Amino acid sequence: MEIKYTIQGLLIYISIAVYLFAFLLTLLGRKKAGHLLHALGSGVAALAFGYRWHHVRHVPLQNLFEVFLCLGMISYPISRFCRRILRVGGEYGDMLIAAIVLFPAGFVFKADPQRLPPALQSWLFTPHVAVYMLSYIFMAKATFQAVAQLAGKTPSPGEDIVSPEQGTYRVVCAGFPLLTLGLVLGSWWGKLAWGDYWGWDPKELWSLASWLVYLGYFHFRYMFGRRYARANSIWAIAGTAAIVITLLWVNLSRLFPGLHSYAT
Amino acid sequence: MNRFRRAVMWAALLLIILLTALSIYGAFIGPERAERFFNSIALGVYWLVLAVLLAVGIIVFRRLIRMPGLLLIHLGCIIVLAGGIWGSKAGYGLREKLFGISKIREGQMVIHEGTRENQVMIGSARETAELPFQVGLKDFRMEYYKPGQLLVQSRQGKRWSIPAEIGNEYPLDEQHGTVKILRSFENFKIKKEDGKNVYYDDPQPGSNPALEVQINPPDGDAKTRYVFELFPGHAHAEDKLSLRYQRVISDYVSELQVIKDDKVVAEKDIEVNHPLYYGGYHFYQHSYDDKAGRYTVLMVVSDTGLNLVYAGYLMLCIGVLWHLWLRHLLKAIKPKDTGAADSGGAAVPGPSIEPDPPIVNDTVSLAPGGI
Repeated sequence: MEIKYTIQGLLIYISIAVYLFAFLLTLLGRKKAGHLLHALGSGVAALAFGYRWHHVRHVPLQNLFEVFLCLGMISYPISRFCRRILRVGGEYGDMLIAAIVLFPAGFVFKADPQRLPPALQSWLFTPHVAVYMLSYIFMAKATFQAVAQLAGKTPSPGEDIVSPEQGTYRVVCAGFPLLTLGLVLGSWWGKLAWGDYWGWDPKELWSLASWLVYLGYFHFRYMFGRRYARANSIWAIAGTAAIVITLLWVNLSRLFPGLHSYAT
Repeated sequence: MNRFRRAVMWAALLLIILLTALSIYGAFIGPERAERFFNSIALGVYWLVLAVLLAVGIIVFRRLIRMPGLLLIHLGCIIVLAGGIWGSKAGYGLREKLFGISKIREGQMVIHEGTRENQVMIGSARETAELPFQVGLKDFRMEYYKPGQLLVQSRQGKRWSIPAEIGNEYPLDEQHGTVKILRSFENFKIKKEDGKNVYYDDPQPGSNPALEVQINPPDGDAKTRYVFELFPGHAHAEDKLSLRYQRVISDYVSELQVIKDDKVVAEKDIEVNHPLYYGGYHFYQHSYDDKAGRYTVLMVVSDTGLNLVYAGYLMLCIGVLWHLWLRHLLKAIKPKDTGAADSGGAAVPGPSIEPDPPIVNDTVSLAPGGI
């Protein structure tokens, strides 16, 4: 546990507090106020991200502190996209996701600025990591929808949103192309930096496993539609579990030595 | 859906689950063992079965032909697999046996500055092979972020990180005074002149980066210390502060020339992320002489199968983007009377193993009022 007595830390803590307050207000039925606070929390997180960018003088997506900061910032725009375009609800979950992903940035990971090692000095660095971050937030939202489906939640009468099962599917559909792009861009970058488009590195294999779980989800849902809705939800949750392992365990555990160790 | 198509779908699902499990297993055994495992005969059979099943899927499911996105995704996967197999060790062995084509798949070259080389070490360096051209190294250099850092630590454990900028004086605290950086050296040497030590930067080849630092305690008894990057433990026992000099490498650069028939046919300064490509091979900055920086180690990799893999990636990405995003976007921006609206959140009945499966009624629409 590391408390950051810096402007950077202060912005992160404000953002977490605002997200949690937004979550509570939404649960208490004050949706409009919750929505405004959600936007405010995202704005503060964006300020923290911008501050970090200015501080380290490169796009701050190098280590776990920076990627979690980025995740905390993008939750709100994705939440709005899902509501307005995909008609998927569950904003209270998005507020909670944002607070949860900012927590490690605020309290766990060190924020010491680092210079980019030669391998990360590539134009592929930003798009590769950015598309993965976007896809991870989509998939985290899909998991909340899947949990809501398993809990038997249905949209309130008059609410113009789809059921949690459909919501899971729609959000996975939105996130999967980003997951695919992340995998392919990473492979291309691996070829340029290390000489091979596939190095059988633990991070690569776990990211492939995550992608395959969602591929399995699509095939299973194609075969059975919504007949086994609970099984569909479990596929989606399994995908996010694989993502969490890819993002965290592979970097933090000594079980998985590999080429991505600079990300810790 | 007839029994055969149902069997194909089940087989596809099982192969996906199996590959997921194998990927997780591979992540636990480390990259080298994983590479051997995924290139073993058993896994070779798996890759072939997967490629055949993908092809069978395209033939038996009309939906895959009718929907360009799905077709591109499945064809892309087949092409990636074909490229991977073509460029694998087994693929090389097969081509050598069948067509007599012999090409270096992967190896390393050690080249000293001012020399040229065409020998490639393969595997554990017991085997060597020759390239049909030579690669020369004009110069190898390492570049560093500027300025470096002087790390100062007191006996109480208090730390300061100071930019190693010459002439600047940095305050520490009331107890320790200030620190001033007087000089920096790339290749620090000492010589005796009139019985005195003279410290100088030797222009001869070699590397011994160091800083000349003046410590100014509050009592005014200033001391000069030399801090070496390569010898971090070097310190005076009576000092209250321990000093370290640290620089961060920003790049490794090898200035290469490709020479064929005594003519320079290609030239490039290679860096990490910027390999040289010539004659069907990529040359990567792999390692270097960490003592004196007089030689470079290149990784040589053949491009066999690479274009197929890249083509497959492109098809896969276009297919996924088209199928899950773009076609819905186009549908949404079309005028409504052309049938943009779809079936909304209508429930999909029963198992969806139909020629036109329920997934059609349940795809994402980018229109606010879609689906």
